[in-house]
Amino acid sequence: MTIDDGKIITDEEIDILQEIMNIAFGTAAAELAEVINIFVELSVPYIRLIPADELPEYIRQEIHDVSMISMVEQNFWGKFKGSAFLIFPADAGRVFISLFEEGVASEDEGADSMDILAKETLIEVGNILIGACVGKVSELLGDNVTYSPPSVVLGNHPNDEIPQGLFDPANSAIVLRTVFCFQERDVSGFLFLVTSHESVQWIRESLATFMAQYE
Amino acid sequence: MIRKILIVDDSPISRKMLKSCLPKEREFEIAEAGDGMVGVEMFKQFEPDLTFMDLTMPVMDGVQALVEILNFNVDAKVVVCTADVQIKSINRVLEIGAYHIVKKPPTRENINKTLEMVDDDNG
Repeated sequence: MTIDDGKIITDEEIDILQEIMNIAFGTAAAELAEVINIFVELSVPYIRLIPADELPEYIRQEIHDVSMISMVEQNFWGKFKGSAFLIFPADAGRVFISLFEEGVASEDEGADSMDILAKETLIEVGNILIGACVGKVSELLGDNVTYSPPSVVLGNHPNDEIPQGLFDPANSAIVLRTVFCFQERDVSGFLFLVTSHESVQWIRESLATFMAQYE
Repeated sequence: MIRKILIVDDSPISRKMLKSCLPKEREFEIAEAGDGMVGVEMFKQFEPDLTFMDLTMPVMDGVQALVEILNFNVDAKVVVCTADVQIKSINRVLEIGAYHIVKKPPTRENINKTLEMVDDDNG
């Protein structure tokens, strides 16, 4: 991707962002591992910048059965501003329940309460992973962000579809494809950050500042 | 004194960051590898005094490369430089025999301290 081609970020900037995302997700995984008994197997992160309205199609290509996913959304504000989307298999919430020491429900409590607990658990995992990851990116780039409460925008119901209007076509999606695997539970997921063109410009300037300390 | 340093990391940016943290007043012979497999081969040929090893890499990850390097030379000084700061990951590589852990992003201070540790150990 180059500016000369009419695109908005250079290959070198993508490489720097990839390394920053790598550091950020490592931090996020460690924070999650401190809260729940889990080991996150990290993969080599993959970064792409695409128009946000192409994201549903991208997700469909990456995740073969999109009718069976859960998606947690959390917005963040600062110079680095946008929305983070964390995508898991639809049953991930139930899998995560057993990892939390407190608030564990049994199947005896009924399907409704299990659904609520699964959703709350998914939100909590999303809150930790997104907060730590976005927080570390903004810290490394010299920003400080605030967050909205996370919410489950999709999930737990088969045949849910990714709403086409979920992603503003005026925005860019930083696709961080870290396929993280919760080793003991065989659950893997994706993280996508969707940000505005304005934020992408700020990111480019901040990446240059970040790398200046390593010249 | 450390003269030869091998840096094994799939990210060229990460390798550049680490190199820039090495003290400018000292001269080093530096070799680089982009994955664990190349890193192991380069270790055997280059015989570095110190190796910086990333963990998450394609082809062969840093854990496997660490094992193979220590199988080849049990006294190898391999410093794991990683973004994976989960306690289990750190304990695992220390148990295997990593000399030290440096959390990413590296800083001049951290790298200097690491070099001092290795130099002190080498007498």
